[in-house]
Amino acid sequence: MQPGALSKALKSGAIWGFIVLELIFFSVAGEFLSLSDKAFMNWENMLLLLKQSAPIGIIAMGMTMVMVNGNIDLSVGATFAIAAIVLLDSMTWPIFAGLGDWVIPVAWLLALLVGTALGALNGLIVWKTGVDAFIVTLGSMLGYRGVVFMFNGENPTSHLNWTLVDFAEAEFLGLATASWFLLAVTLVIWFLTKHTVHGRNAYAIGDNRDAAVNAGIRVGPHMMINFAIIGFLAALSAVVFYSESGSVNPNDGQLYELWVITAVVLGGTKITGGAGSVIGTFGGVIAIQLLRKGLGHIGADTSTVNLVIGCILIAVLFLDRQLNVKGKEELKV
Amino acid sequence: MKIRTALVASTAVFLAGAASAETMKIGITQNNVGVDSYQTTYEKAFIAAAEANADVEAVVLDAGGDVARQIAQMEDLIQQEVDAIIIWPTNGEAVIPAVRKAHQAGIPVIVTNSNIAEAGFDFVKSFSGPDNITQGARSAEIMCDKFKEMGIENEAQVVHITGQPGYTTAIERAKGFEDRLPEVCPNVTVVDTQPGDWNREKSQQVMEAFLVKYDDIDGVYAGDDNMGVGALNAAKAAGREGIIFVGATNFAVGYEAMGAGEYWGSIYQSPVDDAEAALKTAIDVLEGKDVPFLNYFDTPKITQDNMGDFTKPVF
Repeated sequence: MQPGALSKALKSGAIWGFIVLELIFFSVAGEFLSLSDKAFMNWENMLLLLKQSAPIGIIAMGMTMVMVNGNIDLSVGATFAIAAIVLLDSMTWPIFAGLGDWVIPVAWLLALLVGTALGALNGLIVWKTGVDAFIVTLGSMLGYRGVVFMFNGENPTSHLNWTLVDFAEAEFLGLATASWFLLAVTLVIWFLTKHTVHGRNAYAIGDNRDAAVNAGIRVGPHMMINFAIIGFLAALSAVVFYSESGSVNPNDGQLYELWVITAVVLGGTKITGGAGSVIGTFGGVIAIQLLRKGLGHIGADTSTVNLVIGCILIAVLFLDRQLNVKGKEELKV
Repeated sequence: MKIRTALVASTAVFLAGAASAETMKIGITQNNVGVDSYQTTYEKAFIAAAEANADVEAVVLDAGGDVARQIAQMEDLIQQEVDAIIIWPTNGEAVIPAVRKAHQAGIPVIVTNSNIAEAGFDFVKSFSGPDNITQGARSAEIMCDKFKEMGIENEAQVVHITGQPGYTTAIERAKGFEDRLPEVCPNVTVVDTQPGDWNREKSQQVMEAFLVKYDDIDGVYAGDDNMGVGALNAAKAAGREGIIFVGATNFAVGYEAMGAGEYWGSIYQSPVDDAEAALKTAIDVLEGKDVPFLNYFDTPKITQDNMGDFTKPVF
């Protein structure tokens, strides 16, 4: 066995080990504490889990790309809200009145376009000004949220279209529409990071930007594309979610950026860039939703959920650090 | 002695077992506990009421103001096969599809505190909350009674500050007040009506304008105490005395102003009553009792005369 192989396996497997641990804990604790007669590890419940993971999960895939790049995007929650407003509001625009239910794909397309454009704008600013992505997207987080409030004040934007709701609630092969979108996005981004030049460049840039520049990678446009991808995915997440709910509050999507980043970090992506995997992120997303659902199942309140997730996040980073230290020590020997 | 305790204990266990055989599992998903003390008090009261009732097991959830989380909680409650779901909507329209899902799964849904949009009425068993039209009417009665006591019921002039335009609560309270006042005091005139947007500062500005415009103002009706106190501040700053202030939803500031003798009356809306009414409605629905679709809980009048009967509001 090569030195460091064990710690590497431990690191990439940690999130799955954690998920197994959660499942065991909630199954056992659920027997005593839950009011439900149904077991926690019920097949239906697990399918529901996958569906409920979709809003955060779809964005997290894009965040993995951006964070592997060594950047971060704090504006995803606000982009999510703007895309939702575009989706619901555009369905009532008089110019589309003649389309009937064909307005739905048009509204979807518009929302996705707006999301992609907002993401690309972030990327463009990062590229052209050289300001740290954290600061740029902190600004756009506030700015985009401001736009949301300018649009309709404190009031929700609503449009309930039952055709759309039925589509979003539909199940194909036992999986809900939202679950299919989550799985498809995971697969596409996994392929992108593993098997394309763009994906490999993302790791190279995140690992050592100077070296990447010297190797002839066009770093600026590359990062802009990744920001456009995450903008697109934030909009896709909104489109999938609001198809099923039909009304958006102006503060919807707030704190999503933090949940998304938590999921990505839990999944083993380094916050400094250069390392991370889409499959790990998928595990991180599932772990968070499992924790929310499980704690609800055994009757803990919402604040407990946040406390526990916060502790686990720090524990995971600590574990990661310890494993890295060990790997290096073994190399010396 | 020992045998007797053992007997008592075993009887108790037996009784508990018998009771749990027909317990009602009621799930509640609340809007945002902790954002204000009304909602925090509501949750405490709900848990207390559920614990006091041996036939009820409550699954108490909080959406934290997040629509996505509330929808997920609805799905979880449906999946857990609870007997009834109480929902305090984070958004009166966004939750309709989730409410429909519960309805399709055969679980009765009770909406609490603020109603969902009309498109969802078909999927809801009952709404439990305050009756804002009655609240408006009662405010009119409070004001009229005071005018009669003062002997000015034939000449009094009133200004009206409403809540945010478009809000159901604001519209209903204004309607209740304007319909009831001519019935009880036909000679009192409402000289002007302006929105105060539920905002104390806005209401103060509106009142300042009223004071300049009208030399004789005998009464002010505000859609809630927050705005009522704003209007009171304007009158105090202008040195105008003897105006009768009546509000609705008694706030702590209103209660204090009443204690100081500056503010006449309001409508007492208790989060404890709100929570208990919601649980009661759910139980009644499960027991097959006839429950009206709009199931209001009582929101009594409170004035300087009877304020000792009420505890100071926590919000």
